[in-house]
Amino acid sequence: MGKRKAVIVLSSSEDDEVRDRSAGGHQRPSKSRSNPLSTSRKRIGKRSKETSCVGSVSRPSPKLEAAKFATLSEDFSDCLEDLHLARGNQYWKELWIDKYKPSSVAQLAVHKKKVEEIKCWLEDRLTKSKGRSGNVLLLTGHAGIGKSATVRAIASQLGAQLCEWTTPTPTLWQEHVHISNLGLRYVSKLDEFESFVEKVGKYSLLFPNNFGLSKVPIIILIDDLPGTNGRAAFVKLKKCLMTLAHSSQLPTIISITEFSEIDLGKGSTSRYEELISILERAGAQKVAFNPLTVSSIKKVLSNICQEEKCDVTLELIDQIAKTCGGDIRNAVASFQYCCVRPDDFLLSASSTQMTTNTRLDFTKSRSSLLTGQNGHEPLSFFLVGRDETLTLFHALGKFLHNKREIPNALDLDLGSESLVLCKKFVRKPLKMDVPERVLSQAYGQARPVVDFLHENVLDFVSDGAINDAWMVSSYLSDADCLLALSLHIIFPSLTDMHESKSISQLVAASVAVRGVLFGNVQPMSSRWHTIRSPKLWQIEHLAHQHKNELMGAKCDTYGIGVSMSEIVTEYLPSVKWISSGITDGLGDGKYEHYPIRVNSSSEHGFVVYDSKESMSNEESDDDEIEDW
Amino acid sequence: MLWVDKYRPRTLDKMFVHEEIAQNLKKLVAEQDCPHLLFYGPPGAGKKTLIMALLREMFGPAAEKVKLEQKTWKIDAGTRTIELELAMLASTHHVELNPSDAGFQDRYIVQEIIKEMAKNRPIDSKGKKGFKVLVLNEVDKLSKEAQHSLRRTMEKYSASCRLVLCCNSSSRVTEAVRSRCLNVRLNAPTVEQIIEVLELIGKKESLQLPPGFAARIAAQSNRSMRRAILSFETCRVQQYPFTVNQAVPAMDWEQYVSEIASDIMKEQSPKRLFQVRGKVYELLANCIPPEVILKKLLLELLKKLDSELKHEICHWAAYYEHRMRLGQKSIFHIEAFVAKFMSIYKAFLIETFG
Repeated sequence: MGKRKAVIVLSSSEDDEVRDRSAGGHQRPSKSRSNPLSTSRKRIGKRSKETSCVGSVSRPSPKLEAAKFATLSEDFSDCLEDLHLARGNQYWKELWIDKYKPSSVAQLAVHKKKVEEIKCWLEDRLTKSKGRSGNVLLLTGHAGIGKSATVRAIASQLGAQLCEWTTPTPTLWQEHVHISNLGLRYVSKLDEFESFVEKVGKYSLLFPNNFGLSKVPIIILIDDLPGTNGRAAFVKLKKCLMTLAHSSQLPTIISITEFSEIDLGKGSTSRYEELISILERAGAQKVAFNPLTVSSIKKVLSNICQEEKCDVTLELIDQIAKTCGGDIRNAVASFQYCCVRPDDFLLSASSTQMTTNTRLDFTKSRSSLLTGQNGHEPLSFFLVGRDETLTLFHALGKFLHNKREIPNALDLDLGSESLVLCKKFVRKPLKMDVPERVLSQAYGQARPVVDFLHENVLDFVSDGAINDAWMVSSYLSDADCLLALSLHIIFPSLTDMHESKSISQLVAASVAVRGVLFGNVQPMSSRWHTIRSPKLWQIEHLAHQHKNELMGAKCDTYGIGVSMSEIVTEYLPSVKWISSGITDGLGDGKYEHYPIRVNSSSEHGFVVYDSKESMSNEESDDDEIEDW
Repeated sequence: MLWVDKYRPRTLDKMFVHEEIAQNLKKLVAEQDCPHLLFYGPPGAGKKTLIMALLREMFGPAAEKVKLEQKTWKIDAGTRTIELELAMLASTHHVELNPSDAGFQDRYIVQEIIKEMAKNRPIDSKGKKGFKVLVLNEVDKLSKEAQHSLRRTMEKYSASCRLVLCCNSSSRVTEAVRSRCLNVRLNAPTVEQIIEVLELIGKKESLQLPPGFAARIAAQSNRSMRRAILSFETCRVQQYPFTVNQAVPAMDWEQYVSEIASDIMKEQSPKRLFQVRGKVYELLANCIPPEVILKKLLLELLKKLDSELKHEICHWAAYYEHRMRLGQKSIFHIEAFVAKFMSIYKAFLIETFG
C-alpha cells in the first residue's frame, strides 16, 4: 500500500515537470514567481485541472516513467510494461475538446458582442490599472458555453498572463488523520481561499516592484469558488468575495456557472443569485453569457469535421447542435463520440430522420390521440446531447396555457379518416411534447403537480366557461382519489408495493395533466400570469395547528367525550357569543374559564391569511412562465 | 358552567328524553348482568348523558369523581416501542377515552388499555371481583384494524371489563363488534321534547319566555338538544329580556356557508369558483369538517333551488361526498361539486330565461 502511494506521488510530480517542459519558455518564470506565494496558488499559470488529467493520459514519455518505476519495484515494472504495451498498441487520439480548444478570439463561438465587452473591459483595466476600484468582472452562464475559453483566448491575445485560482484537492479523511498526526493543522478550503483573497490585495501591490523585469500584465481568474456548506460558511465566502471586489488591484475575473434549479435544489440557486448580486453591488461588472446558438455550434462542428476529415452528414451535425442545449463542450464530445463509429450512428440517425419525416403529417393530425407513439420517436436524441430538463414552473406553464396548433383543412381530413370522434371530444393537437414526457423532464412529482394545477388552473379558464371549469376540477378530483389510493395499496411484498405506488402516482399526475389539457376547451388568450404556490398547503398547515391547539384545550374545557367536529361546529361559536356577551358587561363572570378566542379574528372569526410571503418565492420564476 | 352541562340529567330516572330506554337500562344494571353496550345516534341525542347516568346507576356517586389524566402509553410493537400520549378521564370504576385521537396508531391504544385494565381488577366491598367499565367515544372513527383488535380483546377480557361504545353511525362499526354488543339506538329528540326542555330551563333560570320563542330555537336546532340549549343561552347573553321576534343567532360558520351559497347562486363563472374556494379554505383552516361543509352547503343551495334540479344536485353532492372519502384533499371534491352545480344551474338559467 505504502509503495503504491509513493508511486502515485512520483508520477504526479513527474507529470508536472513534463508538462512544464512541454509547455515551453514563458511559463517557467511563472512557476518561480509563484514560489514566494502561498501554497494555495501553486497552480498559477497552468492549465486547469481537467486538462491536466487529460494531459497525463496522452503524455508522450511513458517509457521514462516506466524505467523509474522499475528501479522502485520489479513487480511493478512488469505490470507497467504490460500496461504500457497495451497502451502503445492502441490508436490514441487527443480529445477533440482539447485539440480544438479556441486559441484565438476569432475561433470563439461566443457571441462577438460579449467577447468585445470583455476585451474592452480587460484592455481598460490593463492599461490604467492603478488606483481604481471595480476591478472585478463577473461572468455568469450555464456550463460549457465558453466562459473560461473566452477569457483565455482574450488573455492570450492581449499577451496577458492568466493566474488561476484552483480549489485545492479535497482532503480525504485518512489524509486528514495522517496530517493531524504530524501535528499540522487542518486548513479548510474556504480558509485557504480567504488567505488567497487577502494575498491578492497585497501581492498586486508588491508584485510589479519586486519583479520589475516582467512587463506581462496579469489577470486573475477565479473559476471555481470553494463549496460552502451551511449558513456560516456561506457568509464567510460572501465576505471573502466582498473584500476581493473591493481590494483587488489586478483585474480579476470570477466565473460562476449557473445551475438549473433541478440539479441542486432550490436553496443553492438562490445562493448563487445572492453571490452574484453581492458582487454586483460591490462594483463588479457582470457579463451574462447566453447559451450558444445552434448555428455557431454548427460552424464549430463543421470546422472540426473538415479538419478531421470525418465523413458525417450535415444532418448529424445539425442534430447534435440542436440537442446539446447550447453547451459546446458537450456538443464536441458527442460529435467525437459519433465519429468513432460513424456507420452505425449514421444509419440510426438517418432512419429516424426518415421516419420522422414520413410520420410528421400523420402525427400532426392525430397527435392528440396517438401521442403515446411519439414517446419513442427519435432515438438518436438520447444517444447524443444532453437530456433536456425543464423547471417545474416551465412545465406547469405549458400545461396551463394549453397552446394548441391551428388546424388546417388537410389535417382535419386525415383526422376524420383515422378515427371519428364525437365533436365535443375533439381537441386540436397539442403544441408540445407528450404531457407525460414534459412531466418527466420537469421531474414533476404527482402530488405537487396536482396541487399546483389545482391552485392555478382557474385563472386560465376563460370567463364564461363554467362547464370547462367543472370538467377540469372533476379530473383533478379523480387524480386526488388516485393519489389517495396509492397511499392505501397494500401488497404482499415491499418491492411490489413500491412499484405500484409509483405507477399509480404517475397515473394520477397524468390524469391531472391531461384532464387540465382536455377540460379547458377554450383557454384564455395568453397573457401574463403568475403561478402561485398552492394556498392549500398553507391552509392544511393552519388547520393542523388549529387542531392541535384545540386538542390541547379540549380535555380541560369540554371533557373527553366531545368530538372535534362538535366542538368546532357547536361549542366554539356559542362560547364565542357567550363570552363576547361577558366582555360587554352583561354576564356575571360565570364563564371565566372558557377561553376567549374572538379577539384576534376578523368579522366571522376567520383569520385572513396573507399569502404574500410565499408569493415572493415564486416571483423569481414568473418570467419563465410568461409565454409558452 | 354552560347550561348544557348545568342542566344535564344526572340519573337515569331524571332523563327528559329516552325515558323508556333509561328504564330498561336500569333494570339491566339491577340484574347485575351488564353486557357490552353500543350507543349510537345523531349528535345531540343524549348518548353522553345516558352513559354518564348509567355509570352513576352502576357505581353510585363515585363514578362522578373523575380525574383527567394525560397518560403516556409505552407499547411494545415487535421491533420497536411506540410512545403514545392520550388524555383519559378516569374514576375508580371507569375509564373514558377517545381512542381515535391517537390517529393511525389507535389499535395499539385499544389493546393496551384493555389489557392493563384487565390486570388490575377492582374488588368490591363484598370481596367479589367486580369489573371496570371502559367508555370509548367515537368508535366509528376507529380504523378497521383497531376495530378488529377491539373485537379480540373484547372477548378475551370480557370477564374483567365491560365496554361502552359510543358513536354517531353504527354503519361504520364492524359487524363483529356490533354483534358482540347490545345495540342501543338513540333517536334525536323531537321538537316538542326540545321545547319542553327549553321551557324547563327557562323556568329554572327564572326567565320570561315570550310565546313561540322556544319553538323557534327548537326549529333551528336541527333536533339537537345540545345545539338548542347552546343557542338558547346565546340568546340570553345577547339580549334579555327576550323580545318576541328576537333573532336566534346562527353559528358563524353556518352563516358563512350560506353566504357562499348565495355567492354561487349569484354568479357562475370560474372567477367566482375561485372566490368560493378561498372561502371554503377559511372554513377548512378553522377545522370545520369538510363533510359538514358539503352537507350544509347542499342544504343551503337546495333552499334556493328550483325543484326540478334538486334531484340532480343531490346526486352530485352524494357523488362528491363519496369521492371525498376516497380521496385525500377534500377541497378538490368540494370544488368539483361547486363547479358542477354552477354548470348545471347556468345551463338551467339559460334554458328557462334564454
